[in-house]
Amino acid sequence: KAWDDDADNVDPEDVVDDTDGVDVDAEHAAWKLRELKRVRRDRLAIEDKEKEREEVERRRNMTAEERE
Amino acid sequence: MAHQADAKRALDERGYTGRLIRGDNPLKLFEKAVRDRIIDSYYWKEQCFGLNAATILDRATELTFIGGTYGVAQKPTPFLCLAFKLLQIVPDKEIILFYLEQEEFKYLRALAAFYIRLAWEKDEEVYTTLEPYLSDARKLKRRTREGWALTHVDEFIDDLLIKGRLCATTLPKINPRLFLEDEDRLEPRESALGEELEELDRDDEADESEVE
Amino acid sequence: KQHLVTTGESGEVRRATLEEVKERFEWLKRKRDEERSREVVDLEARIEVARE
Repeated sequence: KAWDDDADNVDPEDVVDDTDGVDVDAEHAAWKLRELKRVRRDRLAIEDKEKEREEVERRRNMTAEERE
Repeated sequence: MAHQADAKRALDERGYTGRLIRGDNPLKLFEKAVRDRIIDSYYWKEQCFGLNAATILDRATELTFIGGTYGVAQKPTPFLCLAFKLLQIVPDKEIILFYLEQEEFKYLRALAAFYIRLAWEKDEEVYTTLEPYLSDARKLKRRTREGWALTHVDEFIDDLLIKGRLCATTLPKINPRLFLEDEDRLEPRESALGEELEELDRDDEADESEVE
Repeated sequence: KQHLVTTGESGEVRRATLEEVKERFEWLKRKRDEERSREVVDLEARIEVARE
């Protein structure tokens, strides 16, 4: 390509293969794993937020007790 | 309404009269250093001149990798140049959705998703429009600073929604999904794993109880 | 003025409609499919020649 002078001494583009369907089962399994990680990440975020809320509540109750 | 064939006029700070994105000239979504690299590049000058939302497809369907800038000279990828072109054109929403929804050209889908993340201002819409493509497992080639990497459409979409910076661009602020859910502006995301998710969870719990 | 036209600096680009976008898309898709089937034919021809 005229606009692509590889003066940067980089691997040629075909060092990575983006052809789909080379191994359908493996590719699908890999996707499932990625999606599972995303779902778990989202759940963890919800749990963390809940814990944060509980902590704030706990602190509020504590202060009230300390007042007495 | 027409737009200028090149970007020089559009970047003239004074008197920009085109469509606004986030209250400003869309081209400003890219940092000045990156804009300069793009406009000075061979690809922009030779391949991006005079394109509209239809003729840009000639270039977009030829894309073979995503990426920002690369190499010592921070050369812009064709992907980045075309994204810049889209910001200049500001295509109608239905056209962008067409680019996104078509199945034939995965790099065109990636380009549309990148544009949507940059240009659309309603957070809820960004999530609901892009999240379905978290089930697109196709491979994407990515040009990195020093070489190449393999990624996938779903990973790219996820990056767009999670990361602060991608493809040499600082992504506009977006409310975290959790925040929008708490505000009742978004429903929790339904994973494409669907029922399989329960199975996978059960497998996990089984493993855990075995350990105990 | 010639110069301006050549470099296109004076150029205003016509905005495309959704219809035009779809048509262009279909044309490019057809072109790609034809290109691919041509590659298959070429490959098969070469295999034939190699066999002889």
